[in-house]
Amino acid sequence: MSQSKGSVFHRLYVGTGAFDIVGKRKRWYVLFGVVLLVCLASIVFRGFNLGIDFEGGTRIQLPAASASGKITTDAVKESYTKAVGKEPVTVQTVGTGDSETIQLRSETLDASQVTSLKAALNNDVKPTGGVGSISDSAVSASWGGEITTRALIALGVFFLAVAIFLALYFEFSMAIAALVAVIHDVVITAGVYSIVGFEVSPATVIGLLTILGFSLYDTVVVFDKVKENTRGLLGLTRRTYGEAANLAVNQTLMRSINTSLIALLPVIGLLAIGVGLLGVGTLKDLALVQLTGMAIGALSSIYIATPVAVDLKMRDPKYKAQANRVKARRENLAKRAAATGTTVEAAGDVVESTDDDALAAELRREKALSAAAGAPSRTTKNADARRRPTGKKHR
Amino acid sequence: MAPPAGQIRPAKYLGAFVLIVVALYSLVFFTGNHKPTPKLGIDLQGGTRVTLTARAPDGKTPSDEALDQARMLIETRVNGLGVAGPEVVRDGTNLVITVPGTDSEGAKRLGQTAKLNFRKVIGSPVPNAEATPESTSPSAPASGSAAPTTSASTPPPASETASAPTTTAQGRPAPAVEAQQPTTTAPADSSAPPATSASAPPTSAQPEPADCDKVLLAGEYSDDATKAIDESRQCRQNPQWAALDPQVVQQALGAFVCPKIDPLLGNDDPALPLLTCDQDRTQKYLLAPVTPPADGSVKDDDYSMYSRLTGEDIANAISGANPQGAGFVVNLDFKSEGGAKWGKFTSANVGQLIAVVLDSQVVSAPSINEAILGGSTQISGNFNQKEADGLANVLKYGSLPLSFEPSEAETVSATLGLASLEAGLIAGGIGLALVFLYCLFYYRLLGVLTILSLVLSGVVVYAVLVLLGRWIGFTLDLAGIAGFIVAIGITADSFVVFFERLKDEVREGRTFRSAVPRAWVRSRRTILSADAVSFLASAILYFIAVGQVKGFAFTLGMSTVLDLVVVFLVTHPLVVLVSKSKSLSNPKLSGLGGAVQAGAEERALAKSAAVKEV
Repeated sequence: MSQSKGSVFHRLYVGTGAFDIVGKRKRWYVLFGVVLLVCLASIVFRGFNLGIDFEGGTRIQLPAASASGKITTDAVKESYTKAVGKEPVTVQTVGTGDSETIQLRSETLDASQVTSLKAALNNDVKPTGGVGSISDSAVSASWGGEITTRALIALGVFFLAVAIFLALYFEFSMAIAALVAVIHDVVITAGVYSIVGFEVSPATVIGLLTILGFSLYDTVVVFDKVKENTRGLLGLTRRTYGEAANLAVNQTLMRSINTSLIALLPVIGLLAIGVGLLGVGTLKDLALVQLTGMAIGALSSIYIATPVAVDLKMRDPKYKAQANRVKARRENLAKRAAATGTTVEAAGDVVESTDDDALAAELRREKALSAAAGAPSRTTKNADARRRPTGKKHR
Repeated sequence: MAPPAGQIRPAKYLGAFVLIVVALYSLVFFTGNHKPTPKLGIDLQGGTRVTLTARAPDGKTPSDEALDQARMLIETRVNGLGVAGPEVVRDGTNLVITVPGTDSEGAKRLGQTAKLNFRKVIGSPVPNAEATPESTSPSAPASGSAAPTTSASTPPPASETASAPTTTAQGRPAPAVEAQQPTTTAPADSSAPPATSASAPPTSAQPEPADCDKVLLAGEYSDDATKAIDESRQCRQNPQWAALDPQVVQQALGAFVCPKIDPLLGNDDPALPLLTCDQDRTQKYLLAPVTPPADGSVKDDDYSMYSRLTGEDIANAISGANPQGAGFVVNLDFKSEGGAKWGKFTSANVGQLIAVVLDSQVVSAPSINEAILGGSTQISGNFNQKEADGLANVLKYGSLPLSFEPSEAETVSATLGLASLEAGLIAGGIGLALVFLYCLFYYRLLGVLTILSLVLSGVVVYAVLVLLGRWIGFTLDLAGIAGFIVAIGITADSFVVFFERLKDEVREGRTFRSAVPRAWVRSRRTILSADAVSFLASAILYFIAVGQVKGFAFTLGMSTVLDLVVVFLVTHPLVVLVSKSKSLSNPKLSGLGGAVQAGAEERALAKSAAVKEV
């Protein structure tokens, strides 16, 4: 085993179970538990930086370019004060190049105030494109709350539906483990938002919900391999449930990394564009929350979901007994090896499939199906073609 | 001769895919408007979107019927704006009005129009001191005595003989109500006998809790919406005003300050008097109840104060040029029962003012010149065409079964929309390019297949997008684009799962060719279950969440389903084709070389171990 270890990348690529993830699960529990607590504490004590949609207000956006050069935020502020009679909450420049805009936030204005403000801005700072180029959005303070309420309902329904689906497709312990991982992801992502102080918008809430799908997706792929590796495990003494699960994690490790990278690359693109070009808005909010959540989702399916599934599974006396048998056999082997004076290379790390029977059955069925569906191929067709000119009746 | 196990005929599957693509694109080009462009949301093409949240007066969830009815009413009104492509969609208890294009700001005002009823004006309207400061000192105390006999400024011009009371007067409108713009009444009123005192101490006539001072004098309400509604009902709907004591009425009017944001909007109790202002906050009114109290103390035929008329009694309202001279008039038709009520009410109140009250605010308060029995009425006054149109619209569509408040009103300029669309497309392009690069680097030939599959997936997604926009009005917004970009990852993952399994099989010592069917059977299961979870997530999001979430969930779910189509009909067959070709399945080219080598090394190792073991 020693010389086959190779570089980290090689071990990853080959996926032979060289990383003991499940065995050291206590370590991961402590590590992620601490992170989780920090996040929870921050959510409770610091709270979130809620955006305009949660506090209510009006947002005006206009191009930063005018015929007479760049529009300054001061000019916009002045114009606002003149038109509305109060100070705006914030005025800032966002985005770059042609997409550069000025964003103004204020307390909620009614429709006629917005119209007069737009007219005033158009008169004072003359943005390119005239009054038609000024965008506005007014949000009532309750709107963000409603989105959040609905999101929480969606969250509850989702957890329930997923628990049922996973319990049916895998087994109960795996369903629980997957949910633990997902909840962990949501809390940590929310915690990161609270700690860093990113602004929370409805788009962020959306993003948070979609993390759930992604995180579970990842977990399902790993669990699928665990299920495959542990089929018929109880009848064998080759490895324990934990070891089989660890092997599955290793076998899917490269896939997890690949998937996460492939999923994150577009999101990074989204973030770069959302921040760089537009400065703010839906794209940025979604990208930021996805970036955080996806990274954590991939980690948790490896470090949380599988270990928890193993722990739950090992409460079953049957699996405990099997683990003892494995241990006994190994001790036996070791004793024999000691007696003969040779060192044993554990062969357990070779990747092999334990569900060959199931696979063979499926392949057989496939064969039968394609035989039933497929018309006898080419040869018959050729025969047909040859027969036709003879004019004989074809039956 | 059946092919060997799992050895599919790739051509069949690829053919099926080509058929699907051809079918989709012929639908795109030969149905609908034949244009291959998806329907864009207003945040991408510019326009206005208003989200109206229903407010049921009692705090209950509004009923489906009420919401649907409101939706239809608002839709009619939106269409009345005369802009292209407006849409009113119900989303839970919200109505979302979408009006594309630059000339769409009118949509913001649509939600305002809500609960309409008719209330008799008690006393005379008083100018709102705060809103019209220049008129304060000289004329603020102006107010007529509250005696019901008071007539408005000008005596009604002798009208032509009223139309025959026996008919329902479809033909010509009964010459009737002469409107008085609140602004024009103001100076006239100042000639009325001066009021006793505006500074009278407030007031033994108001048994309300003390915070009424705050509500009435300062226009300040609690922050909590329900509490604010309660406060304003308590303070501004004092039942004692119905007693018509001129001094009390005068005091109430004098003390009242028009609130800037009125929590009572649409939440007034029609069975109680109402202290309110007109829509511009220039005039203050004290209005009689719409319906008599439920206790039966008022006789059914007593119309001296109760109009019993709501917007639902109106059949139609049309504005037009005044046939008798300059300006514009509004012709109003009541439904038969409404006509009867109107007749009785106007008979009992000739010379009085009747206020058209929309969402607790006075839109117009014309005076009744004579009894109007035909069910048809003409309102005339100093209207310009816009005002007349507005009043007609309010009367015609004003009565919604629910009141709404705009939760979100957004106007996006076309330039900003375009910029967002560009940014979204650039982001998607960059995302795809990064994924392409990574796939090529990691999977080489299989990476090329991945790219091909992703591109084909994009082709299908685009066609479906166009078609859904046409069929079910699905609009692509910024969140939707983000959904697609995120879905790139999920789509590509299906390939990754398959290829990784392939690698496993090759590592176990199989040839590329024999590994394909085994890897496919195994990964197919994983792909199906993982996509099922992903789809479940989007479906739940779609049905439960509101607003932009829907667009995101929809595109994500759609991509997931189409991903399956592409994996089954394109990626797998292509891999089979490659595995059959000698030159293409070269391990170096396929990116599986490492796995082959690693597998071989390990088997050698295991063998030696096993040999030693035995």
